Amino acid sequence: MKRVKKGSDKGEKSDRSILSIGEKLAKLFELPPDLFGNRPKVTAVGRGEVLIENFKGIMDFEEGMVRINTNNGVIKITGSGITIREITSEAIIIGGKISNIDYDA
Amino acid sequence: MFLVHLWNYIRGYVIIIAKGGGIERFINICTRRQILLWDIARKDSNSVVMKASLRGFMLMRPAARKSGCRVRIIKKCGLPFFLHRFRKRRGFKVGLFFFAALITLFTSMIWEIEIRGCSRDVAEQIMKVLDDQDIGKGSFKMGIDPNRIAADILLNVDDVAWAGVQIQGVKMTISVQNIIPRPEVVDEDQYCNLVAERDGLITKIEVLAGTLKVKEGDTVTKGQLLVSGRLESQYPEFGTRNVHALGKITARTWYDIKVPLSYEYTKRIRTGRTHENTYIRVLNMKIGLFGNRNAFDLYDSVSYDRTVSGPFNSEFPIGLTVEKQYEVTEKKVKLTTEEAEALALKNARLALSKELSPDCRVLDERVNILKSETGDTCLELILECEEDIAGKEPLGGD
Repeated sequence: MKRVKKGSDKGEKSDRSILSIGEKLAKLFELPPDLFGNRPKVTAVGRGEVLIENFKGIMDFEEGMVRINTNNGVIKITGSGITIREITSEAIIIGGKISNIDYDA
Repeated sequence: MFLVHLWNYIRGYVIIIAKGGGIERFINICTRRQILLWDIARKDSNSVVMKASLRGFMLMRPAARKSGCRVRIIKKCGLPFFLHRFRKRRGFKVGLFFFAALITLFTSMIWEIEIRGCSRDVAEQIMKVLDDQDIGKGSFKMGIDPNRIAADILLNVDDVAWAGVQIQGVKMTISVQNIIPRPEVVDEDQYCNLVAERDGLITKIEVLAGTLKVKEGDTVTKGQLLVSGRLESQYPEFGTRNVHALGKITARTWYDIKVPLSYEYTKRIRTGRTHENTYIRVLNMKIGLFGNRNAFDLYDSVSYDRTVSGPFNSEFPIGLTVEKQYEVTEKKVKLTTEEAEALALKNARLALSKELSPDCRVLDERVNILKSETGDTCLELILECEEDIAGKEPLGGD
């Protein structure tokens, strides 16, 4: 009972904190934060293509809108002519004329 | 990205349309099962168009069933499907086979022979050696041993110190190195006399060794002793000594020729009618085209070759030979005395020029018209020349 309580306690704590242990270590040793943890990495070059790494899956795919589930919440990308250029288990590339990249959508 | 597209094209892919509610779920399941999807676009409210690899499409069925989507192929793309179309065409396969066979055949032949490092005469001799072994344009590389050709060239061609034969692709390169000719050495122990090589009148004498037997202004006949290689001593008790006679005896010589005059001359006149014959030349074979004939009884023919030239100064062993025939008529023409003499003089000069030795200098030219008792007329051409008439003759005796 005690052990369970302790474990749940710890889980709650890490949920609340913004940084995970790996990321704290990364910060301590001045390593790039994307080496640890599974936070999404969003790369946008120009406005024709967005690359999202460390995603969980797509939630919605509509005309001009795609919602992607990540560990940090849902990222919504809107624009015109939105397509999924490529999708693998590690990364998703979204193409089209992008107008918004929204977090918490 | 281009490489990825190329790879997808080679492996083959399908464009599919997925219909139903849980399209997002379908895509997620596919992603988790390592099925590669790309170019996913929404078509309308309940259908999505996407591309998938062939292997991916095979694994897609359970995912579709799970998510409640219906998947249908719109189009099959890529090389496997493209080739599939030709599966039933036998001509295509036969053509492909012939193409490969021809490429193999033609690349195993020699198409060009280059000889370098020597003069034209030596190159011709080398070509003769190659001909003797039946090596030429169009012979197969298989049976050719470069070392043997090089050895044959060294054996059969004089003036070659080194020969190298290389075969690169369809080109055979033969490089040779000329021998620098050995300078002529006067062997002083080889005793000899100088004798006249032809009749003449001596004009100038230069003697380097030996006893002079003639003097300027003498007329000599062929074979006469000019400079003796035997040196006589002033005092008979010392005896004689033999030397290699050396010297230059310049003499005036005469050459003459008689040419009968003829007042008739057959002239070939082109009538203006021509005919062309065309041949296709492949290697050394000539293939006549349809319609080739000898159109006229009497004709002059001029032929010229056209060779197909490739890039980098190369020549293909194919070309055209065009032979043009000009019809001629023979016409007997009466010549005047002057014209007949001019014609005879031309012929006489041509005939005499072959007789003259290369170092002789023509001083004077005389033309006589002779008439014999039978009535024939002759033209006599006499050339007066100056040349070195000394020739070596080994000294006999001891």
